[in-house]
Amino acid sequence: MNVLNMKRGKACRKPFDMGMPAKATDLVRLAIKAGDPYCAAAVHNIATGRDKRRLEALMFDKRRNTLLLARWEHTPASVLEAIANSSAGNGDSGVVIRLDKNPNATAKALSQLYVGQADVRQLNSDFTVLIAQHLHSPVSVLASIVQLSEDEQSLKAVSRNPAASAEVLSVMLERMANSKIIGVLYKNLAENPSTSTELLDFIYAKGDEYVRAAVIGHARCSQAVIDESVSDKDVKIMRKLAVNARVSSETLVNLAASHDVAVRCGVASNVASPEVLVMRLLLDDSCLVRRAIAARLDLTAASINALANDKDSWVRQWLARNPRIPRKVLERLSVDFEVDVRRAVARNTCCPVGLLKALAKDQSAWVRSAVAYQHKSPKVVMEALATDNNIDVLSGVANNPHTPQMILQDLAASPELDIRRGVILNKYATRKTLLPLLEDPYYLHRLMLVGSVRLKGKDKWSLRDDPDFQVRFMVFRWMASRLCESAVR
Amino acid sequence: MSTILVIAEHRRNELRPVSLELIAAAYGLKKSVDDKVLVAVIGSQAESFVPALSVAGVDEVIVVQTPIADFDPDIFESAVSALITAKNPAVVLLPHSVDALGYAATLASKAGYGYATDVFIAEYQGDELVATRGGYNQKVNVEVDFPGKSTVVLTLRTSVFKVLEGAANPSVSSFDLPVVQSRSQNKEFIEPGGANDVDITAVDFIVSIGRGIGEETNVEQFRELAETAGATLCCSRPIADAGWLPKSRQVGQSGKVVGSCKLYVALGISGSIQHMAGMKHVPTIIAVNTDPGASIFTIAKYGIVADIFEMEEELKNQLAA
Repeated sequence: MNVLNMKRGKACRKPFDMGMPAKATDLVRLAIKAGDPYCAAAVHNIATGRDKRRLEALMFDKRRNTLLLARWEHTPASVLEAIANSSAGNGDSGVVIRLDKNPNATAKALSQLYVGQADVRQLNSDFTVLIAQHLHSPVSVLASIVQLSEDEQSLKAVSRNPAASAEVLSVMLERMANSKIIGVLYKNLAENPSTSTELLDFIYAKGDEYVRAAVIGHARCSQAVIDESVSDKDVKIMRKLAVNARVSSETLVNLAASHDVAVRCGVASNVASPEVLVMRLLLDDSCLVRRAIAARLDLTAASINALANDKDSWVRQWLARNPRIPRKVLERLSVDFEVDVRRAVARNTCCPVGLLKALAKDQSAWVRSAVAYQHKSPKVVMEALATDNNIDVLSGVANNPHTPQMILQDLAASPELDIRRGVILNKYATRKTLLPLLEDPYYLHRLMLVGSVRLKGKDKWSLRDDPDFQVRFMVFRWMASRLCESAVR
Repeated sequence: MSTILVIAEHRRNELRPVSLELIAAAYGLKKSVDDKVLVAVIGSQAESFVPALSVAGVDEVIVVQTPIADFDPDIFESAVSALITAKNPAVVLLPHSVDALGYAATLASKAGYGYATDVFIAEYQGDELVATRGGYNQKVNVEVDFPGKSTVVLTLRTSVFKVLEGAANPSVSSFDLPVVQSRSQNKEFIEPGGANDVDITAVDFIVSIGRGIGEETNVEQFRELAETAGATLCCSRPIADAGWLPKSRQVGQSGKVVGSCKLYVALGISGSIQHMAGMKHVPTIIAVNTDPGASIFTIAKYGIVADIFEMEEELKNQLAA
C-alpha cells in the first residue's frame, strides 16, 4: 500500500486566494483575511499599527482563544507580551496563570505580570511562585520577590532558580537567616549554579552533610573547601569527592579503598585518577566499578584487553562503545554472544567500514538497525539493508545520509509512519523525494517539512490552508521570517 | 434471558490475552443469572484453546473448525454471521484489533446490526445498551446507544477490562463452518517490527527517557538503571527517531499507549501533548526535569526539579546498597 494515496484531510476553512506574499504587510493581511488566530499569532511580530491591532482583536476577541495562546508552547514571545499587556493579562486569573507557566514567556512579559498583578498576588501566591521559578524571570523581579515576599514557597523557588544572580541569592540568605526554612534554602543554594564561591563557603560551614556534599559538587566550590572536606568520613561527601577532578591523587588512592561501591565507581571514572590506580580497580569485585573504567577514554592496551574478556556484558558493552578501542578488539567484540555488545560496536563512531559490512548481516535486527543509523555505513550497505523488513532497520536506512534517493523515495511511500519520518529527518533527502510527503496523512510530518531546507518556498506555502492549526501556524511563521530576512537584505 | 457472544482471538497458535478481557466485559453485561456468555473460538486448532477459555464467567465454549490456521476475514465474517443467526445474541464482543477490524464493520453493515469500535465502557443503562468510546482524538468521551437494534457488535479496547480470576467448567460444543469462498490467501507471516522486544503495552513499571539525556552514549546508563530497578526502558519520539532505542519502546501518539503501566518514571521528558497521549492515564507518574515549567509536571503525581543524571546516580547508589 502506498500510504501517500491517503491524502491529508481537506482544509477546515473555506479556501481563499493566497498567492505567495511579496511583503510583510501582504502576509499580515492574508493572516487577517484567513481569520485564524494561529496564523495571526505567527505574523504578530512583523505587524505594525492598525494591522497589529486587527490581529490582536482576532486573537483575543474570544477568551477561549486567549487562554489557548497563553498556554500554547509555540506562542511567540510578542504575542505573550501582548496578552500580558491586554485587559485579560491584568484581570483574568486563568490567563495569567497560563502565561506564568508558559516557558516562552519573556522577561518583559513576566515583569508586566508581576507589576500588574499586585492585588492578585496578595490573594494567590501561586502566581508569585510561578514567576519566582521561571527561567526567564528578570533579576529585578526576583530581587523584588526576595526583598518583599513573605511567601516561603516563592522564596524557595527563587533559591532554586538559576536566573537569580549571586547578589539576589546573597540578599535572600541574609534576610532569611533566622527563618525556619533556612535549611531548605542552604540545600537549594548549594545546588544553584548562580551561587557565588563566598556564599558556598558560608553554606558549607553551616549546612548538614547533604548540603556539604552538594557544595563539593558545585562548579564554584573553592579549593579550600575541597581540601577541608577530604578528612570527612561521610559517604555522601566521599562520593562527591571521588568524581571531583580537583582532588589530589593521594586522596583518590584513599577513596579507592572505600567499602562503598559508588565511591570506588567515582574514582574509576575520575579523569584525575592515576593509571596505576585504574589498573588496580580493574580487579575490583564490583562490576559497576569495572563498567565505569570501560567508559574511560584514556584506557591502556592492558586495561582494554582485560575489559574485553570481562564476564559482565555491560563492561564489554561500555568498552565496545569506546571510540579509542583498537580495531582488533572491536573485531572480537563484534562477534560477542550478547546482542547489545555487538550493537555497541556498530554504534561506535570509529567502527571500521569492514566491520559494519559484517554487522549488517547480523541475525539481530537491533544490531542491523545500529548499522543502518551509523553515518559511516557506505551506500552498498544501505542498499542491502533497504531490503530488510524490520521497522528499526528501515527507519535507520531512511535516516542515513548515504542512502540513495531511489531508496528514500520508496521509503517515503511506506505505510509505516516511523519510516516516512526517517526520510523527512534525513538532511540529504532531495526535494523530489520530499514533495510527496507534503500530502502525508500525519500532521507532524507536514509540520516538520515546513522546516526543510530542501523544499522550495512555494512547496511550503502549499500547506498554508492545512487542516491542522499547528501546520498553518508554522507556514505563516516561516513566511514571516523569510520576508523579514529579505527585507533586511 | 439474553446471550452475549464473545469471539476469542488467537495468533500463531497462542490465545491472545484480550480474549479473557472480552469474557470479563461480557460477564459485566449480564443483566440476570439466566443470561449466558458464549465464547466462540474459530480456527484449524480451535479445540486446543478450550482449556484456556474455560474461565470464570463462561457458560459455553463453541468450537468452529476451519480449514486454515491463519486468520482470514472472509472465513471469520461468515462464521460469526452464522453464529449470530444460530444463537441470536444481544451483544457480540470482538477485540479492537487488526484482525477483528478486518471483518467487523462488514458483518455489522450487511445485517444491519448496531456497531461501535474501540469501546472502553459497555454497560446497560436500564434496558438500553450504551457503549463509550473516544472522540475528537480522545479529547471527549462519546456515548453510543443503539435504538431498535436487537444485536449489537462492539470491538473493545485492549487492556481496559480486568480479567476475572478463577477457572470454570463450561459446556463445550462444536459449530459447523458454513461453506465460504475466501478471497485472500496467506503467503507468509512476518513478525511486526520489534516483535522480539518486550511489549510495552503490557508492562506495569516503566522508566522513560527523553531529549534531556542529551547524547546516545547516555542511554546505556539509563538502561542499566532500568534493568537494576526491574523496569522497562521506554522513550519519547526523538529518542526512537534517532535510533537510540527501538520504535517498539516509543510511548505516545506515534508510538504506543502503555495501557497496563502502574508506575511511569519520566526522566528528561518535557511532556509534549503527543507523548502524554500515551501515558497520561498511568496512576503514578514521577517526573524528573530541570525545568520547573515543564508540561510533564501538570500530570505527574510526584514532580522532581532536578538533574536526571544526578537522580540516576543516586538511584543506582540506593539500589546497589
